[in-house]
Amino acid sequence: MQDQATPLTLDDVVRLRRRKKGVQFGIFAVLIGLVLWSVQATVIDDTDWQRIGTLADIGESVAHFIGVDFALIPSLLGPTIETFMIACIGTLLGLVFCVPMIWFGALNVTPFKPVTYPIARVAMTLSRSIHEIVWALIFVSAVGLGAFAGILAIAARSLGFIAKMSAEAIENIDHKPVEAIRAMGGSNLQVMIYAILPQVLPVILGIVIFEWEINIRRSSVLGLVGAGGLGLVFFRQMNTFNYPGVTTVIIAILMLILIGEVVSHYSRKALI
Amino acid sequence: MTMPEKARPDTLRGDDVHREWSRFKYPQTLINYGVLFGILLFFSYSIHYLNIPLERILGMFGRLGDVLANRYYPPDLDYIADTDYLDSVIETVQMAYLGTLFGLTLAIFLGWFAAYNVSPSRKYIYPVARLVAMGCRSVHEMIWAILFVTILGFGLLPGVLALTMFSIGFAGKLFAEEVESIDMGEVEAIRAMGGTNLQVFVFGVFPQVRVAFTGIAIYTWDVAFRAATVVGFVGAGGMGWYLKRNIMQIETERTAAILLSIVVLVVISELISAWARSRVSKAQ
Repeated sequence: MQDQATPLTLDDVVRLRRRKKGVQFGIFAVLIGLVLWSVQATVIDDTDWQRIGTLADIGESVAHFIGVDFALIPSLLGPTIETFMIACIGTLLGLVFCVPMIWFGALNVTPFKPVTYPIARVAMTLSRSIHEIVWALIFVSAVGLGAFAGILAIAARSLGFIAKMSAEAIENIDHKPVEAIRAMGGSNLQVMIYAILPQVLPVILGIVIFEWEINIRRSSVLGLVGAGGLGLVFFRQMNTFNYPGVTTVIIAILMLILIGEVVSHYSRKALI
Repeated sequence: MTMPEKARPDTLRGDDVHREWSRFKYPQTLINYGVLFGILLFFSYSIHYLNIPLERILGMFGRLGDVLANRYYPPDLDYIADTDYLDSVIETVQMAYLGTLFGLTLAIFLGWFAAYNVSPSRKYIYPVARLVAMGCRSVHEMIWAILFVTILGFGLLPGVLALTMFSIGFAGKLFAEEVESIDMGEVEAIRAMGGTNLQVFVFGVFPQVRVAFTGIAIYTWDVAFRAATVVGFVGAGGMGWYLKRNIMQIETERTAAILLSIVVLVVISELISAWARSRVSKAQ
């Protein structure tokens, strides 16, 4: 047992430093070993090098994608707007659904800690850990093809993140306004509306705008599983081997995301 | 009945007399309400445009519950205990690991080039690096996976490359933001000593962002692992292929088991990364 009072001798310092070096070396060795193992398994064993061929073949495949299919552009406008709207409404719906989850998931406001807190935490993890494509598949099987399934998928996917960050924001609030309103005889609801909400509303809105920006990106692929938007056009171009059309759709997605990024940047600035 | 208001002198009218305190004054409130109204209008129009049956949303929960209870329960646990499936899980982990690693290695350079304050050339390299980071990030990992599968064929390699592109964009942007907020004193000191750009980065910038970079790396791994579970959908290897096959065959109990295994894996990886991040921030 090393007592705090006894000063470290030079030997101790050297030994500790050597031990730390040893631990670091061990961690790096493990990481590099994992890299070698993974490379062996994925890149060397599992890859069909015959199919890939030479570098020239790869270049040829890539060259298919170069070019823009101008004839496609007018028919892209509708799906682009649809993608944008799916992202907007999905985020809004996610926000609506996550209100009870924020309430249950924040430790200091949860109504009945042993039951509601774990429920909310499990729901958050579930929502975040299932990929949006899988959510879309589940909802397509539940409500049928179309934009509605996409909206529900976006809502289900974004709700966990919004709820988690917002619940953390509520847990970190200043407690003095809460006490003040309690001391005035305010009910739980009044405490929430007048003491907690004003403190966290800007934070939550910032989180929602951030998530909305990501949701545009997500909604652009939901069409792959039949949930509408640009992904459907992308998939159709891919299946008809119209590679310039694929490039055009990707450019449209980039434009849409650029717009979203600019809007989100300025609206977050306006919020603060 | 005489109104007391009438007795007021007219000089007060039109003046900025506010009896009640409010955070925003007259023109600002109008703008705020206008923006709010515009947003509401947009939402209602898009609900109309997309034909969304709002009344079905509440009824949907009951149906969804029925579907989950009757068809997805009980999960077919024997199916996921199969060695073939477990192999695919290991492949998924390897794919995510390699993709993140390659992506992070490239993201260090991208973050350096795309940070305005230390970029080697603000005129040429900085905009290009920004564009690359944005492009990598905006294209969804599924689209990357489809593109790489088209070019390279099925297998784990396209999956690794798709995750690499995703990680470059994701970590590159965060890393560039981190580099932009460093203390420039050390950078100036090394520049004053005649250090080259590379030396400035290695000795002036990197030591300042090392801890933040480790945090970003762990976070990227976390997100990339989630993406890795589905890139197999389009033939890029890993457990996504099993998921797609079972969903297509409407083997709902097996699908439920696979989803369960994904959730468990994600929770495990999240726990590990939370532990690692707390260790890193403590070691600082």
